[in-house]
Amino acid sequence: MSRRSFITAAAVAACCFSTGSFAANDTLKIGFVGVTSGPAAAWGISNQRSMETRAEWINETGGYSIGDKTYDIEIVAFDDQKDPKRAIAGMEKMAQEGIHYVVGPNVDDGAAAVRPVAEKNGIMYFPYAFPKELYSAPASNAVLGMVANYQSGPAIYKHLMENEGVKKIAFVASNESDPLSQRDSGVEAAKALGLEVVSDSVTYQVDTTDFTPVILPVLKKQPDLLVLSGVSPANAPQLIRSARELGYTGLMSTETAQDAIVLQEGAGDLANGFISVGGASTPELASDMMREFVDRYTKMFGEYNDESNTKVYALEYILETLKANPDGLESVEAFQATMDSFEAPNPYMVGDEKLRYVGMSSFGQKRQVAVPLVVNVFQDGVFETMFVAEVD
Amino acid sequence: MEQILANGLYLGAQYALIALGLTLIFSLMNVLNFAHGQMYVFGGFVTYTVVVQFGLPFIVGLIASAVTLAIIGALIEQYLFRPVIRKSQREESTMLLAAGIAFFLDAVILLLFGEKQRGVPKIVDGVFNWDFRIIMPYDRILICGLAIALIASFILFMQYSKAGRAMRALAQDRVAAQLMGVDVNRYSMLGFALGAMLAGVVGGLLVTITGINLGMGGPTSIKAFLMIMIGGAGVISGAIAGGFILGMMESVGLTALSAYGDITYLVIFASLMVFLAIRPQGLMGKPWG
Amino acid sequence: MNIRSLLAVIVFIIVVLVAVPVLIAKSGRWDFYYTLTSVALLSIASAGVWFTFYIGRINIGQGAYALAGGYVSAVLVMKADMNFWLTLPLAGIFCAVLSVFIGMPILRLRGVYFAMVTLILTEVMRLAALALPVTNGAKGITSIPLPGAVSIGGVTLLPDFNTLENPKLAFYLVSATLMIICYGVLWRIVNSRLGHLCRSLQQNEELAASIGVNISWLRVLAYSISSFFGGIAGAMFIAVSQSIYPSSFQVADSVNFMLNCFLGGLGYVFGPMLGTLVLYFGWDLLFSTGKYQLLIYSSMIILLILLLPNGILSLGLFNRKIKADKHRDQEGQ
Repeated sequence: MSRRSFITAAAVAACCFSTGSFAANDTLKIGFVGVTSGPAAAWGISNQRSMETRAEWINETGGYSIGDKTYDIEIVAFDDQKDPKRAIAGMEKMAQEGIHYVVGPNVDDGAAAVRPVAEKNGIMYFPYAFPKELYSAPASNAVLGMVANYQSGPAIYKHLMENEGVKKIAFVASNESDPLSQRDSGVEAAKALGLEVVSDSVTYQVDTTDFTPVILPVLKKQPDLLVLSGVSPANAPQLIRSARELGYTGLMSTETAQDAIVLQEGAGDLANGFISVGGASTPELASDMMREFVDRYTKMFGEYNDESNTKVYALEYILETLKANPDGLESVEAFQATMDSFEAPNPYMVGDEKLRYVGMSSFGQKRQVAVPLVVNVFQDGVFETMFVAEVD
Repeated sequence: MEQILANGLYLGAQYALIALGLTLIFSLMNVLNFAHGQMYVFGGFVTYTVVVQFGLPFIVGLIASAVTLAIIGALIEQYLFRPVIRKSQREESTMLLAAGIAFFLDAVILLLFGEKQRGVPKIVDGVFNWDFRIIMPYDRILICGLAIALIASFILFMQYSKAGRAMRALAQDRVAAQLMGVDVNRYSMLGFALGAMLAGVVGGLLVTITGINLGMGGPTSIKAFLMIMIGGAGVISGAIAGGFILGMMESVGLTALSAYGDITYLVIFASLMVFLAIRPQGLMGKPWG
Repeated sequence: MNIRSLLAVIVFIIVVLVAVPVLIAKSGRWDFYYTLTSVALLSIASAGVWFTFYIGRINIGQGAYALAGGYVSAVLVMKADMNFWLTLPLAGIFCAVLSVFIGMPILRLRGVYFAMVTLILTEVMRLAALALPVTNGAKGITSIPLPGAVSIGGVTLLPDFNTLENPKLAFYLVSATLMIICYGVLWRIVNSRLGHLCRSLQQNEELAASIGVNISWLRVLAYSISSFFGGIAGAMFIAVSQSIYPSSFQVADSVNFMLNCFLGGLGYVFGPMLGTLVLYFGWDLLFSTGKYQLLIYSSMIILLILLLPNGILSLGLFNRKIKADKHRDQEGQ
């Protein structure tokens, strides 16, 4: 037995012993409804694993104190297979389990479909979908779990206009609801900034195996910046590779989170300079806690997924807000009331960043978590910070 | 224009190879193999594991994919399809079995290889550039060449080898072939293994270019169905023609209709439906396959 | 219909409409309402698929009609301000008419060719929903109001769902009733002259044509009945979820509808209902198995088809008359 595993074993034994000798903690169940099988499995799995990693970490270190009680966190996960009909079933299941806080669903149609169930049963849910009507009044129970593309897009375009002299912009999207909606709002934002949109109509099927014919007509328009709207991590490297191999030399960006290993394997050096949005995991910004999270995740599941950089936050927000107002355990109204004034230090980022709810300018109410808008650029297998911005 | 044709040719070669395995299985056993795409994905992941995780040469990965999938195919035929075909009243019941196998392979792939997109680094660097009229990376040219070579050797195998002739006889008339002394069980198994192996080899070839992820199975099956419909189900030459036609259609369609954006694929699929309504047996199929 | 089967039907209706709600109230498993509502609606769509099987066609395109029906209902409710209950039959009729135009050319195809064309049809419908302006494209139609009240001559037949204490129960009762009606109609059709004619198509179209059956008319009629079922199932589902997107019904749904029929048994009218229950409920029940859910689920499908290749109902525990039918079918083939 190596020294390290001996220490781990000792720690585990100590842990068992300590929980055995004291009164057991109550259990606080947090739900997850999202896609963990099929084509889009990567989205939901990185979500679920982030939550499970964090929950196990909390439980191992004695539980989470809310009010005068300490809780063990249990993650109840439901696979909706990216089917809105299943997502409703999942949300019903959460209501049945008495769960009031749910992370997910991952896509627009699922998030819209669960809304009646969530509002009827008093469930706050944290979707990764961008439609504004989910978060604007009269909708009350959805909290956007990340930065929306209509918030990050303009920031990126503006930065590139000022620093790289971008004038002509082109958009490519897969012909599905989420990417198309993101493309439309991206086009709108680009026009508002005074950019010339040279191509915004090219779409592709998600199952495309060769992107050369897709991307050829776009490159003929010679854009300075090519935006891959709502691109899935699976398609991104192929699109980048096709564009570069066809001789495109301009900039490329997306407003969704990507994974560095996937980019490296799929496109290699050709992905250098690719701009995407991530959480606070670049070495300059990650706190010790973020590093430990990545370590624990890697230990539990074998390999880290950079998409989890943004997905680590939802659970943290739920727990911190409950800690700020323990009444939230029983009623989501109390939770909602707390959201307006809630503020806590951001444990995953260096400096004095705060966890707080935002969204006033986009939704007219605070229904979005303030994840730091970190714009990354891919370089030789890792992400580097390009700039950091704020969402209000 | 040259570029569009070159793209179409490249797409067509890879499509044709995918369709070959599917049509072979269909012609032999009248089974529409819904799990074909998953077999392709499995093959891709095997090559990835051998090349990237174990650090072995690409060709070893390719062979590993071929062998693994051939074994899987043989086992599936022997222990699943054969008893179901024997016992069921309507042969379409195999569709449920095929779909169940597709789900099963999806689950196994997720557990074994994870949810992430995977790719093998480029095997050849550099881009062929003919005066900006045709731009084609060398690795694509290589894969395209390999695919065409494989198609050619498959045709030769089916034409001239004993096993190939036996399988063609089976496809034409099962009962007659049996009466002529062809071992139906043996060649059904061989055919299924061969079809699965082809799927695995394509997966292994393409993992160097398009990469692989567990979601590609279902859509790949559907695309392969389209190709054999265009060419005619159960006909080898039809599958090849179907593959190349679909490749060309996508390449030309995407360029010609790029200005109309969202409707490109609507037009492609709708015209396919019209084509099939006019010519129900595809280009060279037996009517009422 | 003899006394025995009449009794069976009555027992079934009582179980579905009375015993199930009582049991749910007793056990407190309120989430089963939605699951069972889904089963009821999906089995209506599957019943349509089963009926196309009955004329010898493999239909993997029912998702297209469910989507179309859903959009018809959603658009009428949102843009024309129509009462949902009026849009429900309209959605069915729209799909039936649409299927006549689509069916006339493609019903000439047989076997896998027909199956594949219908599979493409689902994708065509999704892309059309994305591209057409009336559907609101990629953004979908959301915040659809709950169904309003229906009253004839001052008598309230159905209350306004907004005023209900428990709309889940109401949706379940309505969907289950709809399912019972649909299967009743299907059973009636199958056992009528039309049903016998359809069976003759399944066995041998040329022979049927030669003895004077108008096969092309019959095929289109059967296909439009099938699509009608798809349309109303889709419309009802949209009322439950209160939103619709182009991806609300997709290829996977079409495939599932077909699998439901296979699993239940193609030789039995009530096969698709049982198949839907097993497949849909099975997935939900395996929810606690976590990441092995799909593995166990698919293994069970494979095992079921290995043991019962002709569907669960072929176990023969259910109805002797059905067995006799089956026997007759076999002789006919």
